[in-house]
Amino acid sequence: MSVLIVAEHLRGELRPITLELISAARELEGPVAVAVIAKDPSALTDAVDVEGVNEILSVKVDQEEFENDVYQQAVERLIGQREPQVILLGFTVNSMGYGPAVAAKLGLGFASDVFSIDGAAGGPVATRAFYGSKVHAEVEFPGHDRVMLLLRPTAWPPAEGAGSAVEEEVSVSISGSLARHKEFVDVATGDVDITTADFLLSIGRGVGDKENLPQFEELAGKMGAILSVSRPLVDQGWMPNSRQVGQSGKTVKPKIYLALGISGAVQHLAGMKTSGTIIAVNTDPEAAIFSVADYGAVADLFEVAEELEKLY
Amino acid sequence: MCVKQVAVLGDEVEFTADERDVDPDYLDYALNEWDTYATEEALRLCEAAADGEVVVVSVGPEDAEEAMRRCLAMGADRGIRVDSDAWLDPIQVARALAEVVRAENPDLVFAGVQSADAVQAATGTALAELLDLPRVAVVTKIELGDGNATVNRELEGGVLDVVEVDTPALLTIQTGINEPRYATLRAIKQAEEKEIDVRQPGDLGEPAYQVKKMFVPPKGEGAEMLNGSAADVAQKIKEIVEEHTG
Amino acid sequence: METRETFAGLETWQIVLWYSLIVVSVAIFFFGVARLVLKYRRGRTHTVIGNRLERAKNAARIIATHAWIRRRDPLAGLGHLLVFYGFLVLFAGTAILAFQDDFANPVLGFDFWHGWFYLGYSLFLDLFGAGLVVGLAIFAVKRGILRPFRLRYWRPVEPTEPLRDQSKRYELGDWVFLGSLFFLALTGFLLEAFRIAAHDPDFEVWSPVGWLVGNGFIAIGFDGKAADDARFADWWVHGVFALFWVSSIPFTKAVHMLMAPIGVAVKDERAGNRLPPLHADAKAADVGYAFIDALSPKHLLDLDACTKCGKCHAACPATATGYPLSPRDLILDLREVAEGSMGNRAALGIPPRFPEHAEILGTIKPETLWSCMQCMACVEICPVGIEHVPIINQMRRALVERGEMDGQLQQTLETIYTSGNSFGEPKRKRGRWAKDLPFEVKDVRKEPAEYLWFVGDYASFDPRNQKITQALARILRGAGVDFGILYDGERTAGNDVRRVGEEGLYADLAEENVATISECSFDRILTSDPHTFNTLKNEYPQFGGSWNVLHHSQLLLELLERGRLKPRKGLGYRVTYHDPCTLGRYNGVYDAPRQVLAALGAELVEMPRNRDNALCCGAGGGRIWMKELKAEDAPRPSELRIDEAVSLSKIDYFVVACPKDVTMYEDAIKTSGHQGEIELRELSELVLESL
Repeated sequence: MSVLIVAEHLRGELRPITLELISAARELEGPVAVAVIAKDPSALTDAVDVEGVNEILSVKVDQEEFENDVYQQAVERLIGQREPQVILLGFTVNSMGYGPAVAAKLGLGFASDVFSIDGAAGGPVATRAFYGSKVHAEVEFPGHDRVMLLLRPTAWPPAEGAGSAVEEEVSVSISGSLARHKEFVDVATGDVDITTADFLLSIGRGVGDKENLPQFEELAGKMGAILSVSRPLVDQGWMPNSRQVGQSGKTVKPKIYLALGISGAVQHLAGMKTSGTIIAVNTDPEAAIFSVADYGAVADLFEVAEELEKLY
Repeated sequence: MCVKQVAVLGDEVEFTADERDVDPDYLDYALNEWDTYATEEALRLCEAAADGEVVVVSVGPEDAEEAMRRCLAMGADRGIRVDSDAWLDPIQVARALAEVVRAENPDLVFAGVQSADAVQAATGTALAELLDLPRVAVVTKIELGDGNATVNRELEGGVLDVVEVDTPALLTIQTGINEPRYATLRAIKQAEEKEIDVRQPGDLGEPAYQVKKMFVPPKGEGAEMLNGSAADVAQKIKEIVEEHTG
Repeated sequence: METRETFAGLETWQIVLWYSLIVVSVAIFFFGVARLVLKYRRGRTHTVIGNRLERAKNAARIIATHAWIRRRDPLAGLGHLLVFYGFLVLFAGTAILAFQDDFANPVLGFDFWHGWFYLGYSLFLDLFGAGLVVGLAIFAVKRGILRPFRLRYWRPVEPTEPLRDQSKRYELGDWVFLGSLFFLALTGFLLEAFRIAAHDPDFEVWSPVGWLVGNGFIAIGFDGKAADDARFADWWVHGVFALFWVSSIPFTKAVHMLMAPIGVAVKDERAGNRLPPLHADAKAADVGYAFIDALSPKHLLDLDACTKCGKCHAACPATATGYPLSPRDLILDLREVAEGSMGNRAALGIPPRFPEHAEILGTIKPETLWSCMQCMACVEICPVGIEHVPIINQMRRALVERGEMDGQLQQTLETIYTSGNSFGEPKRKRGRWAKDLPFEVKDVRKEPAEYLWFVGDYASFDPRNQKITQALARILRGAGVDFGILYDGERTAGNDVRRVGEEGLYADLAEENVATISECSFDRILTSDPHTFNTLKNEYPQFGGSWNVLHHSQLLLELLERGRLKPRKGLGYRVTYHDPCTLGRYNGVYDAPRQVLAALGAELVEMPRNRDNALCCGAGGGRIWMKELKAEDAPRPSELRIDEAVSLSKIDYFVVACPKDVTMYEDAIKTSGHQGEIELRELSELVLESL
């Protein structure tokens, strides 16, 4: 099936989601076109020119950064021109700002947070989660010639390999943007957002004393993880609430959740059990954390931590 | 202000005979978390302006009114429910809401960024399109101006995009924008006196998607235990970490 | 003739002056009292005080025996006994004399104040007067030298403007009170002494103290006219000071003489364990105590009954661990507001002043109110029947109504609202613990059973507690007890929801549970959770559910006594038992668990603070759902408790009978650094072990 991908960029750099969309598109075995909508598309075309991309559509616009009306008008024009069967966007904040609008206006098939696509049948069959990720479902789009899918970031690997795409300039006249970008504000580096971390090293009551914390902070740093904690440590005042994983703290879903000395109170599990890979270390073989962990070890967390330190 | 009563699934699940949905016995219902923030924001804006009305709108069956009562208990003035018991996609929902919202002639329309059950994050933006309103999605701060509003859009990684949007506009509200006030059960019960107007939906058009099959994702059977000395365990952990990163 | 002349040496105009002063003094006294009564009547929350005769009789007994005052401080009890009866007798003495002189003699022509009566009267008054002085001395030693923690005015949290730290004023008031009574006693005895020195009648040996001092004066040559002049001067000093003292009663610490007995008489014996429901159509402004005039008349009176004895302050687990709460300071601060807005101080225009409809939320900081564990240690020990816990609860209701609460607490309440339990677990998971048992647990909604076992949230969902619940199930099964559970029909019983102040949610939960339980067929309700026990037993009748409710320790005892449970071996462990607040102080169940332990052959060693003096684990009053409020470097109440247990030396097990205690103390054993020195066992676990 023919695929149109809309590239995403921020402050002059291509966002990795774009390359993931290309990987997904390649699975559908059809012509793949990538639209780059920017003030200076040429700065980004090289980055999207990877194996699997047939065409790169450069759309020059006046706006420096993403504005949803701009993208909406450009994408609608491109869809009208190229008539792709599948339009792939990332399931990102930008796409949320215009994707559904385009779908509503043009009567497209639509599904978001998709993490698997089957292109074998006549039209695409997308797999997404329902009921807060507890169940998955395959959805199809009968009666729609054109389908827009917003794909889950990191569900596909970024596409690699040099490509040989044909570049084409497409001119689109944008009639006014009603939501205009003014400036960016970076988040204060003061504290860390554990909900966006890929790897969390989480410690619980088992660490015993406040004085033991620095050791784990160091270990987390070495392993490339962010340190998070269970409630008791926050209650004691050893860590701020922003680091707390659990029902009364934050819900996290990192790729890896390494829990040391956490017994797995129901409230804590609620905040992390949907994590990718959960590894738990606890001296209590009956600790509830083992019921949600993928890997477990009944061991003393200090001993394991010491050994880990030697390895990193 | 568009709200949704979402379905909450526990740890156990069974599917309907056609395997296209979860057996309703296994579902609990609650007001969508994003909508509590949206309601709170709407109330704050009206309170700051010392003027204004907060109308809560929802598409759903009669028991969806329970979720709406929560908003009314927090302080919303009245509610409108578009009656529907069917499984609707976000664009159909937007169509159901459009006529009602348009008739109200609002200065601002709020929706939550996404619903906790379907997580499509689409209804708000789709509705904006049908109403032909300027829109910003994933808003974490609102400052009203004259004929426009300055809002913060929260991008991935915490970067904030400051956007100026013409008003009237539709904004989808992200969690954390404020601290939603608590509605005591007493207030919720007494909110039963506030009116909820029921309308019938118009033509909702063709569904944007259809569920072919619903299933429980395959999951491992309990933890795989790592044995050996602390050193062995540490080594294995390192291997697992390396395997799953990158 | 053994008597004495009443107005000896007074000229007629002086007697007239004297009686005029009496009138003025009494008028001021009544004015003050009337103002106080008016203040109490401003209280908008209506409470019904029934069984008045019973209450009066009961109060009379308690006051006469000083049963409440003597608790935990027998020395102070003795002191007060002496002062109390000393004052009463001396006051009665004057009254008898007044009766004789102003009524019996002139009107009835009857004169009894002479002869044996007079001698007996003199002796009696002297002895009790001496006793009064001894009592005052005891108090002076306590306040001045011994200075126990409870008598010191240190505050865990600073007062909020316009309230000021009244410590110095209070201390001064305390000493002035003692001093003034002493002065009255002194001038009274001197009066006798001077009179005896002047006239030396030999029958006055019946006034021993006066006799001794009087003869002392004679010995130093101070007698005759000089002594009589001194007597005359002293008579006026004593008399006027006494009148002044009487008129000052409503305005000083002395007011407790009036209000404390009333406080004792009208104390709600169910205070704390049965909280008042909210009216169905209560408006937001009617909910709880947000303003000083929202307090019930009874509670307003409580504020004045307080004698600053500090027993609540010393008993409070929050005060002991650096929480921003002291029950004593709460009551005294509220008193200041009440006085400054509606009381005598307001009438006299003395600052700090408050508007009549003064807001108390804010003046009393929310964290002060949220610090309370609702453990009832304060209410339990208060000698004058002050109801701190219900007052705090009402103020919490007002805070909740305004949405002013901890984010975590709000989250928990919302979770309870949507999923019917505080863990956010789906309803179906309630019965999950039963699935691991080798037998089926009856669903009491479908089949009748002798016992409806209302399990409770923690016992159902918390993994550590699930083991205990399973243990209990095995025990009951083994004893042939016919029981069933409600499975997913159970909602959280709501005890702590009510204690947190979300009355609407509580009523909703209670109504639902009552409906579910009413459909079942059973004899008695059993629960292993004391919080559940409390609310099912004491408060569900408010919602139409009156049943016979049993705590599992009580049922276990019954089974052991009837031989349906036969311990195979005696457990020779050395154990200590922690009384859960909601089982012990709230409901008086102290013995059943101890008898169970005895029947198991365990050696029970009591901690210093046991039974009604047990130290709360810190989870109650919804605190387990809130963020930590105690001082950073202070130990937790649960850690203090473990320290207490460990100090008993060689204790094998710390025994508890409450699921929240299990959670709190398992934690505390680790965090207090005593892991390995002591282990926790729940009652059921020990029973199972012995079978």
